[in-house]
Amino acid sequence: MAACYAAMPSYTYAMKAEKLLRSRKFSCEVRRSEKSSEAGCGYSLFISGDCSGALEVLRKYSIPYTMLPGGGV
Amino acid sequence: MINFDNAATTFPKPLEVRAAVAEAVEKYGGNAGRGGHELAMRTSQAVFEARETAADFFGAEPENVVFTLNCTLALNMAIQGVMSGGGHLIISCLEHNASARPAAELARKKKIELSIAEISDDDAKTVENFRSLICPDTKAIVCTLASNVTGQILPYREIAKLCAEHGICFIADGAQACGILDIKLSDGINILCTAGHKGLYGITGTGLLISDGKFPIYPIIQGGTGSASSSLKQPDFLPDSLESGTLNIVGAVSVRAGIRFVKKLGIDNIFRHEDRICRRFIRELLCDNRIIIYRNPDCRYVPIVSFNIKGVTPEKTAELLSKEGFGLRAGFHCAALAHAHLGTENGTVRFAPSAFSREIDAVRLANSIKNIAKSKNS
Repeated sequence: MAACYAAMPSYTYAMKAEKLLRSRKFSCEVRRSEKSSEAGCGYSLFISGDCSGALEVLRKYSIPYTMLPGGGV
Repeated sequence: MINFDNAATTFPKPLEVRAAVAEAVEKYGGNAGRGGHELAMRTSQAVFEARETAADFFGAEPENVVFTLNCTLALNMAIQGVMSGGGHLIISCLEHNASARPAAELARKKKIELSIAEISDDDAKTVENFRSLICPDTKAIVCTLASNVTGQILPYREIAKLCAEHGICFIADGAQACGILDIKLSDGINILCTAGHKGLYGITGTGLLISDGKFPIYPIIQGGTGSASSSLKQPDFLPDSLESGTLNIVGAVSVRAGIRFVKKLGIDNIFRHEDRICRRFIRELLCDNRIIIYRNPDCRYVPIVSFNIKGVTPEKTAELLSKEGFGLRAGFHCAALAHAHLGTENGTVRFAPSAFSREIDAVRLANSIKNIAKSKNS
């Protein structure tokens, strides 16, 4: 199954993204992750399954994220 | 002691709030938004749920809900943050010192130009007074939704409309209105500042700044936010930009429980209950011409009543009532402008019930006030 990590700017955005995606039946969870950039907070969203669909939802709702290596879309 | 000083902070707190506080102390001992261990994650989730509850209640996005220590801090952050680049600011003549002092300080330091709009008993005139002060450099209007001295409800939707017409930021002080009136950002408020411990029934040490995200708020405090930690630059996104340092986690959880309590009772029901008590209280006092009540039949009020006994100072009145078991606040209520506007040179005594107040106690209080008036004027 495809999986991807999206680094979130803050825990608040990570939780908002998780709730938004879960309400649309995407499989995802907030995880602690290594720092990926200066903007990273250490929280990322692990998405399994339809990553491109999930990321499309995040973009639609203007939730900022940065893709992390280690999971292909 | 029967507490009629609920405009300062509501007491007692609902059982749900007390239970939530106890649970938070026991379960949410991590640091929200910092760390990934189970305790930290559980605590972070509790704070997020509090954020969501407040966002839903006021019609905002959760990331635009900022937890502060009180309404004063929220107002300072909003006023100083929006006016950081200078410009012209308008405040009303009924503002609490929480707004008036930071505005006056910025003006004193010549960082901004400050105007004060007169509040009339006629809402249309009040809006016109604001309109007449707007100039090309006006950046924001700060206005209380309801006076903490008299309880007068200001025409905030019309003032918001005025702000929108001119591209001005509308900063609202909701300390006496939230939990009593159904306040939403969709009323046209750009930044809503309120206390968590008054009409929202949370514990002291809680406040909220809620933004619609349209006006940037430069942070007046910088520090650790749990985000962008390797950078020396403060994050530029909410809520992190305005939430430096460890949050009052127990407080946030208490505000969530308080908002749920208000929703369960219903804002309209709470207003009706408290308003009925105020009306009864006033009716009991109106027959005594030694008592002055600072209300105008043409105005709308939240459940607050300011009064004085002729020939007795407000502080003396409150002292005598305290001896009889009633808690009321006397003096200037941290609202110098409002008392100057009212012409109450010694201040007033303020009666402010809560959802827990009883009409029978208000009648007993009114009788005590009449007895004081009688004894001091005979």
